[in-house]
Amino acid sequence: MSAFVFALVCVIILLIMPKEGDKLHQLIAAVFRDYFVYAPVKRAGRLLTQEAKTPDEVDWSGKLAENSWKEPFLPHREKLFESRRGLLETKGEQPPVACLGMNILDLKALTLFDLVFGNDVYYQNRRQKILVIGYGADWPNSYKKSKVFSHNFKEDALEHVSFDIFIAGRKSGEPVFYSGSAAGRKLLESCRIKNFENIKFAGAVAESGPDKRMLEIKGKLERSADHYLWNNLDQICLACGKCTIACPTCFCFDLEDKVNPDDPRRDRKWGSCFYNDFSLVAGGHKELDTVKKKIFFWYYHKFARIPKEYSYVGCVSCGRCTRTCPVNIDIAKNIAKILKMK
Amino acid sequence: MNNIYQPQKARVISASRESIDTVLLRFQFADKTLQKKFAYLSGQFMQIGFPGWGECPISICSSPSDSQKYFELAIRDVGQLTHKINELKSGDEAWVRGPFGNGFDTDLYAGKELILIGGGCGFVPLRPIIMDALAGRIKTKSLKIFYGCFNEDTLLFKKQYPEWNRGAELGIILEKPTANWRGEKGLITALIQKRRISPAATVVMVGPPVMYRFAIKELEAKKIKPQNIWLSLERRMYCGVGICQHCAIGPYYVCKDGPVFNYAQLKNISHAI
Repeated sequence: MSAFVFALVCVIILLIMPKEGDKLHQLIAAVFRDYFVYAPVKRAGRLLTQEAKTPDEVDWSGKLAENSWKEPFLPHREKLFESRRGLLETKGEQPPVACLGMNILDLKALTLFDLVFGNDVYYQNRRQKILVIGYGADWPNSYKKSKVFSHNFKEDALEHVSFDIFIAGRKSGEPVFYSGSAAGRKLLESCRIKNFENIKFAGAVAESGPDKRMLEIKGKLERSADHYLWNNLDQICLACGKCTIACPTCFCFDLEDKVNPDDPRRDRKWGSCFYNDFSLVAGGHKELDTVKKKIFFWYYHKFARIPKEYSYVGCVSCGRCTRTCPVNIDIAKNIAKILKMK
Repeated sequence: MNNIYQPQKARVISASRESIDTVLLRFQFADKTLQKKFAYLSGQFMQIGFPGWGECPISICSSPSDSQKYFELAIRDVGQLTHKINELKSGDEAWVRGPFGNGFDTDLYAGKELILIGGGCGFVPLRPIIMDALAGRIKTKSLKIFYGCFNEDTLLFKKQYPEWNRGAELGIILEKPTANWRGEKGLITALIQKRRISPAATVVMVGPPVMYRFAIKELEAKKIKPQNIWLSLERRMYCGVGICQHCAIGPYYVCKDGPVFNYAQLKNISHAI
């Protein structure tokens, strides 16, 4: 009898004990309660990274949204100084923001931003208040299967990207949780999620050294100025700059003064190396005066200059530029052409 | 964390018209402790501007030995912002950040025949080298200054020519001088062709890209090695610290890795000069 009661109690406990999936709901509810949330949201048939009002809106398909996650980290326009009397640094008070559902490729782009803007007081003030929750549907199989052309897949990928919590979805069964920071750990524990793995950030670059594939592309691209590819692209590319807006790693910016009497200010705004005034100097000289020079500049930045400067990828292979290009310029195919160089 | 975009207020302590389109301004930081701590190298530049007007990069043209007292900028009126700067009078204020860039490595000139080649307003950053060489702060074997300019009205630093002529070989060539001009007429390349330059000389050159392309040919004809040619580049720039990408050339940033480059560094980079 007592054995029966014990078994019954055990079954009841198992039934009422929250499963990891339920815990995921708890976690998401906590995030929506305490943070202003950016997430992949499908609206009017388009999957975009945008403000999510409720947990139901979040898309968990694991597909990459059309746009990147740049906006919460590096807004397309931000006020650096109030310029009514001199130039007073803007001390923006922003609500706590959570970026929920960042793909591993987007986490790589974020990790690059953390390197590039390491000494930027505006970026750092904002960054410290952003909770980053990564997500991989069917992780890590989804990553292994995706067409990553700019670098190799490493099993320890999570050790080399910035995040607070990473949720690894499983095709069957419960999700697996990882914490990547003290803040992430605290939040998981507050949601009574005990079964998670702590990932210690081991630096953006693996201990074994910079990515071999990245270095191979870099070496060839540096020597490719006379490659026929650039002449071909010169004929096709419209220099519209849509790729630079869609790209999660494009971070070029302009400083711009506004003399609006109600709010005189010095802003930082996204720039684009495809725009005509990007290299224009007083007197009218323009270094990037052909489409060929512009598109080479863009590729060179991603595949040569960033790898040289940070030993880190300047392209994360998300393919957003290819998806958004009005004339179907395919970055993966172009890099394949560069790799065929001897 | 220090704000890399925060400019500081600086006051004009003297303003003089250097040429028909260029003003020479001597600045002091409004904050005296900043001025006392201020240090720069020849060839470095400042970002100067005003609230509502943006900023532009301008080479410092005073000697680094005066850095704790003041700094000077010679600014040509070529756009809206530089026009406003040209109207500054003694006592007026501007906002500056800097110094930025690598500057000239003047230690390399010690014991060398030093050739300075300036074209147009590119002559500006060469002035501190001339001043330091003539004052013995840079111990060159000899100094030759070749300066190509449009006409008499656009010549810079005229008051200093007698002194420079005493301590160095100063060659000036004008592209379109008036009938009264008794000096040389033509382009800077003609001057380089005519003058004696030893193959072992060190050359420092500042001017527009077109000048570099032709002047380098002349220097190569005189057997000067690429690694002995130094030049300073001009690019659009915003941040000044190698982030915003506007001034990138190949693997380098003009604002951070430059503006001074060795010609050997640049010769294989497409569109660098």
